[in-house]
Amino acid sequence: MASAEQSKPRLLTGKLSKAGMLSFLSAQGILIFFLLSMFVFSFFSEQFLSQSNIMTVVRQASIIGIIAVGVTVVIIGGNLDLSVGSMLSFSTVLVVDLHDKIGPTNAILLMFVLTLMIGAVNGFLIGFLRLNSLIVTLAMLSAIQGFVLIYSGGQNVDIADQQGTWFAFFGRGYVGGIAVPILMFGLLAIVMQVVMSYTGYGRRIFAVGGNPMAAVYSGIRKNWCVFSTYLISAFCVACAALVLGSRVMGSQNNVGQGYELLVLAGIILGGTSLLGGAGSIWKTVIGVLILGFIQNGLLLMGYPYYIQWIVTWVIIILAVWLDLANKRKRLFTTHS
Amino acid sequence: MFKKTAIAVSVIMMSITTAQAETTYRIGITQNNVGVDSYQTTYESAFEAAAERAGNVDIVVLDAGGDVARQIGQMQDLIQQRVDAIIIWPTNGQAVIPAIRQAHNAGIPVVVTNSKIAEAGLEFIAAFSGPDNVQQGISSAEMMCDALGGEGQIVQISGQPGYTTAMERAGGFEERLAEACPGVELMETQPGNWNRERAQRVMEDFLTKYDRIDGVYSGDDNMGVGALNAANGAGRADEIIFIGATNFAVGYDAIERGEYYGSIYQSPVDDAEAALKTALDVLAGEDIPKMNFFETPKITAENLEEFDRPVF
Repeated sequence: MASAEQSKPRLLTGKLSKAGMLSFLSAQGILIFFLLSMFVFSFFSEQFLSQSNIMTVVRQASIIGIIAVGVTVVIIGGNLDLSVGSMLSFSTVLVVDLHDKIGPTNAILLMFVLTLMIGAVNGFLIGFLRLNSLIVTLAMLSAIQGFVLIYSGGQNVDIADQQGTWFAFFGRGYVGGIAVPILMFGLLAIVMQVVMSYTGYGRRIFAVGGNPMAAVYSGIRKNWCVFSTYLISAFCVACAALVLGSRVMGSQNNVGQGYELLVLAGIILGGTSLLGGAGSIWKTVIGVLILGFIQNGLLLMGYPYYIQWIVTWVIIILAVWLDLANKRKRLFTTHS
Repeated sequence: MFKKTAIAVSVIMMSITTAQAETTYRIGITQNNVGVDSYQTTYESAFEAAAERAGNVDIVVLDAGGDVARQIGQMQDLIQQRVDAIIIWPTNGQAVIPAIRQAHNAGIPVVVTNSKIAEAGLEFIAAFSGPDNVQQGISSAEMMCDALGGEGQIVQISGQPGYTTAMERAGGFEERLAEACPGVELMETQPGNWNRERAQRVMEDFLTKYDRIDGVYSGDDNMGVGALNAANGAGRADEIIFIGATNFAVGYDAIERGEYYGSIYQSPVDDAEAALKTALDVLAGEDIPKMNFFETPKITAENLEEFDRPVF
């Protein structure tokens, strides 16, 4: 956000220096790229910009998006959360399996409680014991995968009465013509954007991620701040599990496998710094949507879906490069 | 499990007093990725149960966790342990061949189960036991042709790219469809990675892309049900014929409800028992063919009651 404000005066004076161009590209490049790719895809596929396709893509992207909202908060706070992928597997298997055993309401409540507990463990280890977040959440990633396999015994879980249950609302329902997953994604994104931009809590998270020492000296309780970001992340995963389980009406152990990287890709694409202290929820939303539209667009053009990984790689490199180029005010380094 | 078998075996050994005493075989098995899906999990328990029933078998059960390097390590461990035979569920049909050759050179017969290895490795194995996935693809193509009356346009959701089962099913399906049913056009194939959610997303995109889809062939029922979910969501399930393979419980139920046309019945229990039987036949020195396929019949609403609901 800071770089966006810097670029405005230069543009307004009309003197578009090279550095000004760079900073404009880096700040708004993601939006420009978004519009550009939409244009290219719509050129190749008639259905791409149809309302039903856009709704389909946003609905598909909302699972990744919901998780990305939470992880963005963790990253702004100066940490990482790699455990979200297997946490999603865990929560989805749990809520689907318990649905038939203890009823949807209890299943959802229990799933939220257990998912938040995992978040609390992450938050405790990282916030209070000050362990490295990369290591803690990476270890958590495989630990949860183990728990899921023990819990399910490797079997798929299914909901028997797929037509009759109100649980279908979260993944398949519509309110006012808009799919519920999109509404949940939108609502979470708006609430978190407001919290991060306009509340003292949000400012404290930015402070802790940007300069932890200064934050502590100014009286911010850093431990609790970090701890809370992992609760937010876990809460978002639980919401995503609700959507995923309801959408598929079943689950398998590896359902969330690799989601942590998709989530990170969306966040990086949006321009949130992995070093913490900077970033925004709404740019993460754009980043996640770009990934969704690329996948859908390539598929409509007839390419296999794994081409998107290569395309995503190119885009991420470009995004990171432009960001760095803006900071050092030139595209290439002068000395090797 | 291992202990139980050992106890069972020793009890049998003690009770046998005459010269009819059976030899006890030690058979090692390295599996692909137990726990990743229900089929493999059921296979493992069925294999252990079959070994217990056989009585004269000690088993060493290993799992590669989908990792080729780990599977090669496990092969070498089993060779070191001098087991009597090795059963391998290859993680990769090509990369495991050197390890299989090592076992062959050490005089240990190798039986490949479920999923084939590449041509180059066939000379080093004693036998293959498993489903005929090419035939399954052919059967699915025939069902699709019957269901559509020889006319229509369809899409395919295939399994994991590079996985032998996925390629063989898709290959058998495409070839047979082209030759037996020229009126049915396969418009597009996309991988669904054996994952229901992924298949659901792929199908949603297909439904956007094509205004008319008459049929969907999925590499297994798990993905097929994902496709059905997507079509239900778009309100277009009635106009589409769904055909899968490896009948899952969810697919079985969907056939029963009349939403899903048909599938291929493939039991992991049959698969596991066939693998053990093949290994025992090899050890007994019986003359068996190199390729041993167990029956995987077509299943539709018409013959549904002949089959038990799958446990997975």
